[in-house]
Amino acid sequence: MKLVAISLRNVRIRVVSSLLTMVAILVATGLYAAIMLMAEQTRDRYEGSLAGYRSVIGPKDASGLQLCLNTIFNVGDAPGLIKFRIYQELRAGRTLGRRAQLLYTIPQARGDGFSRFNFPVVGTTDEMFSLFQRDERPLAFAAGGPWKFTHDELVQLVTELAAHESARRTGETQVPPRPQLQDGWKQAVLGARVARQLGLGLGGEIVPSHGKPGEFGSHDHPESACRVVGVLQPTNSPIDSTIFVPLGTNLLIADHADGVFKVDPPPGKNPEDARNLPVTADDIGLTAIIAWPKDHVGPRILREELSGKPGAQAAWPGDEIPKFLRQIGNVADALVIVAWLVLLVAAVSITVAIYNTMNERRREIAIMRSLGARRSQITAIILGEAALLSCVGAVLGVAVCHLAALLMRGTVEDMTGVYLDWTAFAPRELYLVVAVTVLGAVAGLLPAVKGSMTQVADNLASNY
Amino acid sequence: MIELRNVRKSYRQGDREVVACDVGELLIRDGEQVALVGRSGTGKTTLMHIIAGILRPDLGEVRVRDTALQQLGEARRDRFRGQHIGMVYQTFNLLQPFTALENVLLGALFGRGAGAAAKQRATMLLDRTGLAERMHHLPNQLSVGQVQRVAICRALVNDPELILMDEPLGNQDKQTGGQVIDLLLQLAKEGGKTVVMVTHDPESAKRMQRTVDLATLRRVA
Repeated sequence: MKLVAISLRNVRIRVVSSLLTMVAILVATGLYAAIMLMAEQTRDRYEGSLAGYRSVIGPKDASGLQLCLNTIFNVGDAPGLIKFRIYQELRAGRTLGRRAQLLYTIPQARGDGFSRFNFPVVGTTDEMFSLFQRDERPLAFAAGGPWKFTHDELVQLVTELAAHESARRTGETQVPPRPQLQDGWKQAVLGARVARQLGLGLGGEIVPSHGKPGEFGSHDHPESACRVVGVLQPTNSPIDSTIFVPLGTNLLIADHADGVFKVDPPPGKNPEDARNLPVTADDIGLTAIIAWPKDHVGPRILREELSGKPGAQAAWPGDEIPKFLRQIGNVADALVIVAWLVLLVAAVSITVAIYNTMNERRREIAIMRSLGARRSQITAIILGEAALLSCVGAVLGVAVCHLAALLMRGTVEDMTGVYLDWTAFAPRELYLVVAVTVLGAVAGLLPAVKGSMTQVADNLASNY
Repeated sequence: MIELRNVRKSYRQGDREVVACDVGELLIRDGEQVALVGRSGTGKTTLMHIIAGILRPDLGEVRVRDTALQQLGEARRDRFRGQHIGMVYQTFNLLQPFTALENVLLGALFGRGAGAAAKQRATMLLDRTGLAERMHHLPNQLSVGQVQRVAICRALVNDPELILMDEPLGNQDKQTGGQVIDLLLQLAKEGGKTVVMVTHDPESAKRMQRTVDLATLRRVA
């Protein structure tokens, strides 16, 4: 028999009080562990998701951070459009991007979603699967393969589309035919989570929808239904939650006609007048361009080059996201302080719970003292009791935190784009359990001292 | 050997000082079985607590096994009591949440240690006192006589040289209780242990080799 056996027995015989105290510790520890888990995994996820996105070029209508969040993390709506001309200039590498030595420049257009999860549908070219690289590897396929929609096809399409649209807008008698959506473009590649969550495989069909399901004005585009030809392997990044379709499909969706061109009204004209102005292929609007400068100096060069250009900016995810994470870190720090306060309250509840039992335990303590127990041993028994309650509460708190992560990971991913790995136990959780145990033991000090001061003779004699 | 000289213990009750124990001289030899008798309020229990080192006298000298208890600090007195003294109380003072065996082992835990040897000895004692089948029962599942035997086993588990008993028969059935006391005295005699029983009951006192009336021990003013 050991002193801890007495502590354990004391916890067991006061089962209701012990359980309530343990629950208080559990909630506080669980809260703390959850905050840390979210903060760490958000950081890891965000940092890990930057692979492949050394530079993101987009409109100046939003901040660089918004641009990165939307393009890389699928957060929020696209902040605006940049002209196709910028993309062409970057591709040509003469006036833009020459010094940055871009290894790839991939256009993106987004705006539609799919399913009640509103997985973003991103229009792009097949360079997303041939040139885009994460950790020096192109995106790998778990099933099927990429669709085909090349840069040249894109250039030809936008040229024809602009010719048609320009003639239509200016009221010319001879309007070239509008390019038709080819069957070969009605194809989709799904991110791993999209496929898993929707149970879609090769041959499955997605129908892009505009707006969020259930909201006013939202509608499907059945004419642009795409057949699934490929499913990507998991990347543990927002790519897993993305649907890639040929950019041509995106541009040719029936009621996107007005929205695919970015026409700035001339001075003195109102935006409605812009609808009747002629357009060119340069005016096709993209939501973003993903670029990969050869080295880490490239994003700065690109940022400087574009700073003088109207309507476009180059965001540097490697700079924007860490700044953003530091802000999140500050919020997490504030929440951690709240969690510590809750822990402190729980510790006080231990003090109160045990202290309140000290009167009824005077005889028990006196008996142990009469058997030879020293004050230090009585103190150790009561501290052990407090530490046991805290330790078990803390372990359960960490376990509940991970259980909650398991149960809520889908919801959290939908809301924040962060995929919670519930199996990721960090060493700091062990430190947390130790810290809470020590805190609990400290909380037991007051009742322990009171217990150790019990007068032996008085409390033995009182029973005669 | 137990040796008390000019021992006095008093308490303050408001402005008044109440003398709880006043002993001129008391000598008890090793292996002796002595009853300390006296009327209620004569300080029998206080004296027993002084001999056990639970209380420290205001005055005087208390030597148990050549150790001057009044000179020891509290922790050393506790350790001394745990290792060398076994105690049996009127209410037996078993801890209710612990089984009979665990109660006996508690004595060992605060005495010479509750290792495998102590467990073996506790089991042997419980077996010897007829509690082999009851050692895993809680005190409230035992009869008064069985509880008394567990208390005796607990007092003996550290193989102490001195056993102190405070009104061990109390108000219980004298015949049954007496048999258990006889068993303890027999075990003590076999081990050459000193036994001191505090009682107000002359019948209980007769079981001991010698009877000392506390009234005769008072110091001469």
